Amino acid sequence: MATFFRLGSRQVLNHFLRNEKVGMLSLVRPVTLKAQPACPPKEMGHDERNMKLGRPQSPHLTIYAPQLTSMLSISHRATGMILAGYTIMWGLGAVVLPDSISCYLEDLAAANVSSILLCGTKFMLAFPMTYHFWNGIRHLMWDMGLFLTLKEVYATGYVMLILALGSAIALVSM
Amino acid sequence: MALASILRNASRVQAGALPRFFFKPASVAVNRNFSSSLCPNYATFNKNSNLNLGLFVPHSKILIAPQARMMSGDHSRLWPIEKALSVSLLVLVPAAIASPHFILDNLLAVAAVAHFHWGLEAVVIDYARPIVVGNVLAKLALFLLYIISATTLGGLIYYNVNEDGIGQTIRQFWAIKGSGKEKTADSSGSEKK
Repeated sequence: MATFFRLGSRQVLNHFLRNEKVGMLSLVRPVTLKAQPACPPKEMGHDERNMKLGRPQSPHLTIYAPQLTSMLSISHRATGMILAGYTIMWGLGAVVLPDSISCYLEDLAAANVSSILLCGTKFMLAFPMTYHFWNGIRHLMWDMGLFLTLKEVYATGYVMLILALGSAIALVSM
Repeated sequence: MALASILRNASRVQAGALPRFFFKPASVAVNRNFSSSLCPNYATFNKNSNLNLGLFVPHSKILIAPQARMMSGDHSRLWPIEKALSVSLLVLVPAAIASPHFILDNLLAVAAVAHFHWGLEAVVIDYARPIVVGNVLAKLALFLLYIISATTLGGLIYYNVNEDGIGQTIRQFWAIKGSGKEKTADSSGSEKK
């Protein structure tokens, strides 16, 4: 009797719990936790992130007051680009122009243009050179670790401006 | 009696059948998930790794991801060369104009072109960024810069070889005086490029 009940109840319970269609345990979903290699965060550059957030470009030029430091810095690049432009024009001109450049210079000398125009042209050629020259020395000083306090940066900036303007005027008046 | 046996069997079911039931599908699920493409590194991990060390190989491969850099390569070696070039230009430019000479002219041409090439390269990398102008235009700008720099260098050396030379030409232009005021042509040194 006991054996009968024991066997019967085991079968009923097994059916009740473990049957694939009607068993209660078929409603239980097995869940597995699986170790996965950590995914690195998506590579997003500084600009990409700032554009996504709608941030303005730093330095925010439209609200930033112009300072001597930033102005001298950007004009160093600007004069460098101007000088590069002169050099490129010269190099390409030497290749492209039908006559030699000295022929054009002789023509210019013969044309006897006004000295104001010539002096202006010479200043346009000389000032970027002197500016880039003296400010380049200032940059090289910084690279050596000199004149790096804010006071010295301003002082060398003014000295450089005076030297650049003075030597440009001296060159033009030669 | 019957109730006692039912309860006893129920407890046996709980103790025996339930854990077996839970664990068996669990192990099947683990196998299925690992063999599927959910784990992309598993394929490579399976192929070219031993059992123990292999677990860490895909890990380290992922963690050491290539970083996006603005400048290509290591700039710390080029930097002293750029500075030395700048210093040399401080001497070359005045010297080539003060005393025009074939060798000085050509040294100046090479130094000036290298200097402005690196400068303009920085300008292009700063302003023609791929995120602003697109990948194609950024690469095109850099490519164009290389063409321009090479052509300029060729043109300047051609000019030094076949024509007057850089220093002499600057002096010739500086000697031109306008019509307004009369001045004697000064031939002392100047540092105009």
